[in-house]
Amino acid sequence: MDLFKEMAKAVIEGDEEQTVSLAKEALAKGVDPTEAIEKGFAEGMKEIGRLFETLEIFLPQVIISAEAMTAGVEIFRHYLLGKEGDIPKKTVLLGTIQGDVHDIGKNIVKIMLESNGFKVYDLGRDVPVSNFIEKVKELNPDLIGVSALMTTTMVHMPKLMEALQESGLRTKVKIMLGGAPVLPEWAKKIGADGYGESAMEAVRVAKRLVGLQGEGKGDKA
Amino acid sequence: MRDHGKFFDFLEVIKRAESGEILKEADFDKKLGKKALALMKQYEIRYHPESVIPLDDGLADRVYQAAVDLFLDLGVYCTDTQRVMRFTKEELQWALENVPRDVQYGREEETVSVYPRKVEDPRDPICFFSAVGTPVTEEMFLPVARSYAQEPLADTFSGPLITSYKGIPVTSGSPIEVEAAIWNTQMLREAARQSGRPHIGIHNFQSTGEKTDATIASAQEGFGAFPGDGLFVAAIAEMKVDFERLKKVAFLRQSPYVLGALYGPLMGGYAGGPEGTAIALVAHHFLGLLGFSAERHNSFPIHIHHVCNTVREMLWLISIVGQALARNTHLIIVSNAFMASGPCTDMVIDELCAHSLTSTISGWHLNPSAVVKNRYPMRCSGMEPRIHAEVGHQVTKMGFTRREANQIVLKLIEGYEKRIPEAPIGKMFHECYQMDKIRPTDEYESLFAKKKKEWRELGFEVS
Ligand code: B12
Repeated sequence: MDLFKEMAKAVIEGDEEQTVSLAKEALAKGVDPTEAIEKGFAEGMKEIGRLFETLEIFLPQVIISAEAMTAGVEIFRHYLLGKEGDIPKKTVLLGTIQGDVHDIGKNIVKIMLESNGFKVYDLGRDVPVSNFIEKVKELNPDLIGVSALMTTTMVHMPKLMEALQESGLRTKVKIMLGGAPVLPEWAKKIGADGYGESAMEAVRVAKRLVGLQGEGKGDKA
Repeated sequence: MRDHGKFFDFLEVIKRAESGEILKEADFDKKLGKKALALMKQYEIRYHPESVIPLDDGLADRVYQAAVDLFLDLGVYCTDTQRVMRFTKEELQWALENVPRDVQYGREEETVSVYPRKVEDPRDPICFFSAVGTPVTEEMFLPVARSYAQEPLADTFSGPLITSYKGIPVTSGSPIEVEAAIWNTQMLREAARQSGRPHIGIHNFQSTGEKTDATIASAQEGFGAFPGDGLFVAAIAEMKVDFERLKKVAFLRQSPYVLGALYGPLMGGYAGGPEGTAIALVAHHFLGLLGFSAERHNSFPIHIHHVCNTVREMLWLISIVGQALARNTHLIIVSNAFMASGPCTDMVIDELCAHSLTSTISGWHLNPSAVVKNRYPMRCSGMEPRIHAEVGHQVTKMGFTRREANQIVLKLIEGYEKRIPEAPIGKMFHECYQMDKIRPTDEYESLFAKKKKEWRELGFEVS
């Protein structure tokens, strides 16, 4: 269907006005919102992800496209909320661990998760283990994503695992790890549910962990 | 000892961090991307894959002008206060004119004076041999550090880091970090002594500890950190600083240690492609000069996916940024080498050569080298900086022009660029060094000899 192609194109071009008006058009034509998002906007974002992996485009363009997509998706949500429905979103609590200010990788993961339909609570960088625990209690996310770029900070990851155990939260939430020094075997050893080598893989692993489709090479961690 | 009168008032920096305009961090990031793109267009800055070492002085000057505009317009973001610190054109000019034109490392017979270099400068680059914080085991720390300190071309050196100390994992913010940091300084000075160079400068005597308290705790003569040694303060992301880093500045300004600034913008990241990132990297030097009172400036721009700076776009970026700064300022600028491949591979030797050639001809001093994308434990050795430094010295000896250097670099890149994504990780330190003598293995030495022969065919003679 042409409308879906146009939606994808609007995302690729980062044209927010266009994504908004196409979403309205889809609603007017009675197209199912979930289908429109998946076959339209999400396809565009997939292409953006691919273009970024090969550096045919750079981070600023990725951000603009992600925002255009979000604006379009909001139109659908608004409509559904008016009808007392909503697009169910899986939630991810994301942060760079205590002591670590390396956050660019984490930020890219966030953009990719959001544009793949996840709701992301971004705790930022240098996030103490205790903050993760508090926020899990408060927000009840489906998944926690933790990034560490230093050997001196990745040692806080097993501490987070322990703290989750001790507070009885471990069975309620999945956990995936990432960042350059974190290796899949290590993630597995400390009991994480998943590991992602890149932002694209983070999306695949996240989807699998929350029961959506998707797979990744490090996802057996 | 530093002359405070020659640097921008640091108390003013602190005040501005507390009083500047409030802005959301994400908005600052977006503004950077937009502005860099607009400036790239306005100043007609274009990356050219065949002109890795550009010959166009006008291009270098336009990159410089664009960076001035970017810096004045965007300012510097402080993440702790979420405020933007702004500086005026007059302040920038004043700081650029007043900056000291030399800085000393080391003591007595090991004293080296570092000076601002020029494009195609006939003088040798100063070579800062560095293990760039590669993780190693506690037992291997000393031999690895020695492999750098003992190299004849090492003007100064710095070390790897340990991830566990006496069996306890070194954890950021824990007392063990302070313990390990002190040990780190002591061991580096010990490595200098064991190499027969007790007075050699250690340009960064702390890699294991990172928190400000651990870093400052390790900065004692009693532990082996002497006047003429140094530390680094990093911009925490594109054009951003935070209090943890500014606290190091507050200490270092009053200390006898050389304050180096460190900039690692990611090409493909917030500033965009090679052009935008080049503009941003030049602007980082203004951040370091005004915000950090930096005496020397280290750059490690890297490719966002490959985490190295030996691919074509990265070498272009390094060259144009070096030329822009060397032509327009007296700043002491140093180029950090980030290789994709690992020790004892032919690929790493070619990558080192391309990076060193490009940097040396473009006005930089040399800071070799991070290898294997700077992420694999135990994979680094003093041999990589030796290769890098030999190339750098040879470039000045042969009196290359940019045109000649460009031709050689292009050939080198052609040889390895396809292998970058799957670059070989090479050997661990103890696999490519004879441990009893702390010397490269015959295999590694002959690999280098073989490469030198190949380079001769390209018109580049390294004796
Ligand atoms: C760029 C960089 C910086 C920048 C960071 C900018 C920023 N805001 O992020 C700056 C200059 C600020 C910096 C500062 C420092 N750095 Co630094 N830095 C790097 C470098 C070169 C690249 C990191 C990077 O951004 N890569 C690009 C991004 C896109 O990749 P990524 O982060 O790996 O993320 C991808 C994947 O890993 C994955 N991913 C990431 N997170 C997550 C999370 C989940 C859940 C999943 C599934 C996936 C995932 O997806 C991402 C996108 O594809 C690394 C070396 C390396 N090889 O990693 C050193 C490195 C991490 N830094 C290091 C050091 C020592 C420092 C400093 C201490 C330097 C200093 N002396 O001041 C400070 C530390 C500050 C602190 N407390 O954190 C060391 C750490 C050593 C160690 N102890 O392990 C490294 C390894 C370099 C080295 N050997 O010295 N650094």
